[in-house]
Amino acid sequence: MLSEFFQDALFAAIAAIGFAAISNPPRRAYLYCAIIAAAGHSARFLLMRPEVMGLHIILATAAASLLVGVLAVLFSPVVKAPAETCLFPSLLPMIPGIYAYRTVGALVMCLYRSGEECFRHYFYLFASNGLTCAFILLAMVVGATIPIFLLKKISFQATR
Amino acid sequence: MTTLMTTEAGRVTPEAEAGCAADCYPLKNVGEFLSEYSAWLLGCGATCIRLERNVRRMAAALGCGVVMTILPRHVHLTVFKPDHSESYTCIADTREIPISFNINTRLSRLSWALADGKIDFTEARERFAGIISSPPEDRRLVLLLASLANGAFCRLFGGDWAAVGVVVAATMAGFYIRQLLCGRKMDLRVVFIICAFVSSVIGASASLFGLGTTPEIAVGTSVLYLVPGIPFLNSFSDLLAGHYICAFCRMTHAVILTCCLSLGLCGGLLLMDIGMF
Repeated sequence: MLSEFFQDALFAAIAAIGFAAISNPPRRAYLYCAIIAAAGHSARFLLMRPEVMGLHIILATAAASLLVGVLAVLFSPVVKAPAETCLFPSLLPMIPGIYAYRTVGALVMCLYRSGEECFRHYFYLFASNGLTCAFILLAMVVGATIPIFLLKKISFQATR
Repeated sequence: MTTLMTTEAGRVTPEAEAGCAADCYPLKNVGEFLSEYSAWLLGCGATCIRLERNVRRMAAALGCGVVMTILPRHVHLTVFKPDHSESYTCIADTREIPISFNINTRLSRLSWALADGKIDFTEARERFAGIISSPPEDRRLVLLLASLANGAFCRLFGGDWAAVGVVVAATMAGFYIRQLLCGRKMDLRVVFIICAFVSSVIGASASLFGLGTTPEIAVGTSVLYLVPGIPFLNSFSDLLAGHYICAFCRMTHAVILTCCLSLGLCGGLLLMDIGMF
């Protein structure tokens, strides 16, 4: 489990650096994006493990996003950049990409295949993956945005 | 476009009440500067609450009050003297530039430098001109990092190394096309459809040639670099700050881009005849 844990943190950090590059942050922010993403994603990994807490992915995502949000706000005066600079790229590795893909895929199959039974099966997959995807996204944005508003003084004075 | 008009209601901050800088700098110049500043800050991906705070901070330092309406494509701003004897209204088009936290950071720092009296209005305008003309990050570096990021993303979802390789190649091709088409000012929605289509077709090669054991993850991850995460997050931040119109518009924009992404992905899957489940 330890090796999986570190792998999770490493790949989340690489993903965060790449996604950060797309949004053109100051160079000094890359390191902090990697650290925050690694902490957040590995926290979610631990929270979901049955031997640790065995939380559902939606709850685990909300808790990990909250951690990412708090860390991004606390690091923002160090980076001397708005909290969003580190927050957004660090959060992106938690995007439920596979659920989103399965939702789209099931929708295509609903339209592509004929027969009531087939349609019901794929519509079930579409709704189930779609709902999970939507609630993970909601948990991410709620969890990550709230610290910016709770710690307004730090969030908005970081660039002072 | 700028219009001169008398002001309606607007809260004047204590700093503005005490200030006299508006007498030193023409209200027209202050209004035009703040208006341009807002258009750039909103265009580079700042949230509405940050925009409001930065602009109020600078207006207070320049000894005037400000009220503003933030719309998705325009910023409507009125600056006025503390005694409401004079006002100036500007409407600026939001700048259509790629998201840049570098510009966001530097513009926020500029607002604090002006508010703390480290620079005067003339220097603030000079710095602003320097910030908005700063070059973006090296395109090849961004292309490489984005491709590696999507490959790492694939690994996070449980993809094997063959899937990671395919995803890196699919992202590199799709992202390169995105840079090329965005550089030619093509409509972003069309760009998303084309890039998602190309990436999903390349992503499907894992399934087509039997590369690795997780082709489903390869094709699913190949388009994820296009997910409009920042507009989604900004829209929620605006929602919490009570900027419902902006929140709704940003959400709509993000949903439209996601639909375009899905359309391109569906096209790619149908072309490659990928059995999904």
